[in-house]
Amino acid sequence: MNRLQVTWTVLVLALGAAVTLSFVVGEGDLSDDALRGTLLRLRAWRLANTMLAGSALAGAGVLVQGLFRNPLASPSILGTSAGATLGGVLVLVLWNSLLATRLAWIPPELILPAGCLIGAWLSLSILLAVTGRGASIVTVLLTGFILSSLFLSLGSLLMSLAQNTWELGRAVVAFTLGGVDAKGPRHAALAFPLVAVTSCVAMGWSRHLDLLLSGEEEAQSLGVDVTAARRWVIVWASTLTAAAVAIGGNVAFVGLVVPHALRPFTGPEHRVLTPAALVGGAAFLTAADVLTRLLPTAGTVPLGVVTGLVGAPLFLILLARASREGRMA
Amino acid sequence: MNAGLQVLGLRASYRRGPEVVRGVDLTAARGTITALLGPNGSGKSTLLKAIVGLVESQGRVSLDGEDLHGLSPRERAQRLAYVPQRSLLSAPLLVHAVVSQGRFPHRRGLADLGAEDRRIVDRALQDADIAHLACRPFTELSGGEQQRVLLARALATGADVLLMDEPTSAQDVRHALELHEILGRLRERGAAILVCLHDLSEVLAIADQAVLLECGSVHASGPAAEIVQDRHITPVYGVELIQGGGLGFRLTAGGEE
Repeated sequence: MNRLQVTWTVLVLALGAAVTLSFVVGEGDLSDDALRGTLLRLRAWRLANTMLAGSALAGAGVLVQGLFRNPLASPSILGTSAGATLGGVLVLVLWNSLLATRLAWIPPELILPAGCLIGAWLSLSILLAVTGRGASIVTVLLTGFILSSLFLSLGSLLMSLAQNTWELGRAVVAFTLGGVDAKGPRHAALAFPLVAVTSCVAMGWSRHLDLLLSGEEEAQSLGVDVTAARRWVIVWASTLTAAAVAIGGNVAFVGLVVPHALRPFTGPEHRVLTPAALVGGAAFLTAADVLTRLLPTAGTVPLGVVTGLVGAPLFLILLARASREGRMA
Repeated sequence: MNAGLQVLGLRASYRRGPEVVRGVDLTAARGTITALLGPNGSGKSTLLKAIVGLVESQGRVSLDGEDLHGLSPRERAQRLAYVPQRSLLSAPLLVHAVVSQGRFPHRRGLADLGAEDRRIVDRALQDADIAHLACRPFTELSGGEQQRVLLARALATGADVLLMDEPTSAQDVRHALELHEILGRLRERGAAILVCLHDLSEVLAIADQAVLLECGSVHASGPAAEIVQDRHITPVYGVELIQGGGLGFRLTAGGEE
C-alpha cells in the first residue's frame, strides 16, 4: 500500500470507530429495550449533524487556506464563522420581530442557514477587500481577529436586545452557544444538500487552488481567471461554513486542525486533500462530540471547548513555526 | 519577416499609478532570442507582465497577427508562456505536479493527465534537463533547479512564445550556461523568446535582438551586438564598455566541471 492508501485506510477506520463510539457512548442505558430505539435514533441524528458540520468546516478550511496561500487560515480564525453566527442571529431577530407572523409557514430552520450564508459571505468578502491581494500573514490574521471580535460584539448586542422577548432570547442564546445535541432530521436534511453539493462543486476548483498556491500572477499566467476563482472559492467556503454554523454553532479550529494534520500524508494537491479533509473533518468532530460526553463535568460541555483545546495549541505551534521560518511577512 | 510576437504602443501602470511602460514597440520573431535590457526600474519586468496580461495596459499585443487583447487567461496561456524571476510556491508540490500545471490551459475537470498531456510534460522535463528531479518536492530544490522547473512548466503549456524574467539572476555560472544551451535549443525549434537580462555579456552570448529600455520607453532596439555599444549603453546606464575586457565562460566537455 502506498502512503495515500494507508491514509485513506486510517481515515475510514477512524471514522468507523468514532461513529461506533457515538452510538455507544452517552447518557441513557442501551440495554433498556424500551429506551434503546429512541436513544439510537437521537444519537443517529446527532451523529449525522456532527459529521456534516465536521466535513463542512474541514472543507471550508482547505478552501480558505488555498485562497490565502496560508495554512494558518480557517473559518474561525478569519472571522467567517463569527460572521455566519452574526448573520444567523440577525435573521432570527428580524424573523421573530418582523416576519414570523406573516410567514409563519416557513420553519425557522430554513431561514437560519440563509442568514449564516450571507453573514459568512460578507465576512470573507470584507476580509479580502480590506487585506487586498498579496497581504502578509500577519495582516490577514489580524484583520480576521478584528472582524471576528466585531461580529461577536454585534452578536452579543443583538442577543441583549433579544432578551426582551423570552422566546426569541432563548432561540438566540441556544443558537449562539451552538452544539449538536438537540439537532434532528430537519437540520440534517437542510445541511446535507448544501454540504454535499458545495463540496463536489468546490472539488472542481482543485486545480485552480493548486495554481493559486504559486500566487495570483503565476496562476493567471497559466490560465486561471483569478477574479472568478476568488469569487467562487469565497462562495463555496462561505456556504460550507454557514452550513456548519447553522448545525452546530461557532465550533472553532476544525478547519485549521484537519487540513493541517492531513497535508503531510496527502500532499498539498487539493483534489487529494479535499476529499480526505471531508472525511477527516467528520471523524474529528464526531470524536470531539464523543469526548464531550466522556468528560467528567457536571453539565454538557460545548463541542467548541474540545475542538478549542486541541486547536488552540496547534495554532500557536504553527504560528511560532511560521515566525521562526520568517514566513510572517 | 518571421511571424511572432508584436507589441505596439504598449502602456502599463500599477493600480492607476504612474505609467511604468510608456508606449513600447517591439517584435520577438520566431526562431530568435530577443533580450530586454535596461537599468533597474526601467520597466522590463512590468513590460513582460503587461504582454502576458498580468497588469493593466493599453496598446496592441498580437501573435502572428492575432490580437491577444480580449482573450481569456486560458486562451492567452495557450499562446504565451511566462517564466517569473522566482516562484512564490511554498507548498511541497512534486516537480512533476508543478510541470503538469503547464497543461492547465488545455484541460477541464479533475481527470488525470491524458496520454498526450503526459508526453508533453515528459518532454518538457527533458528539455529543461530536470527529468531526474520529477519526484522531488519543489521546495527542496536550489534556486537554479527551481528556475528550470518553472521553465519546464512554461514549456508544458505548448506555447511557442516564451517570456522570461531574468532567468539567470539566481544561478551560478554553470547553471546559467546550461540555461543558455536550453534556450538555444528552443530557438532552433522555432520558439520566439523574449527574455529580461541584466548581464550585458549574457545578452551578447545568447540574444539575436535586443531592446534597450529607459524609464519605460525604448531607447534603442536592433541586433544585440549593435545595441550593446557605448553609444547606446553609456547614456542609459552611465557606464562605458571596456573593449575586449571581461571574463568569458563556456561549459566543459560533457557538461562536467
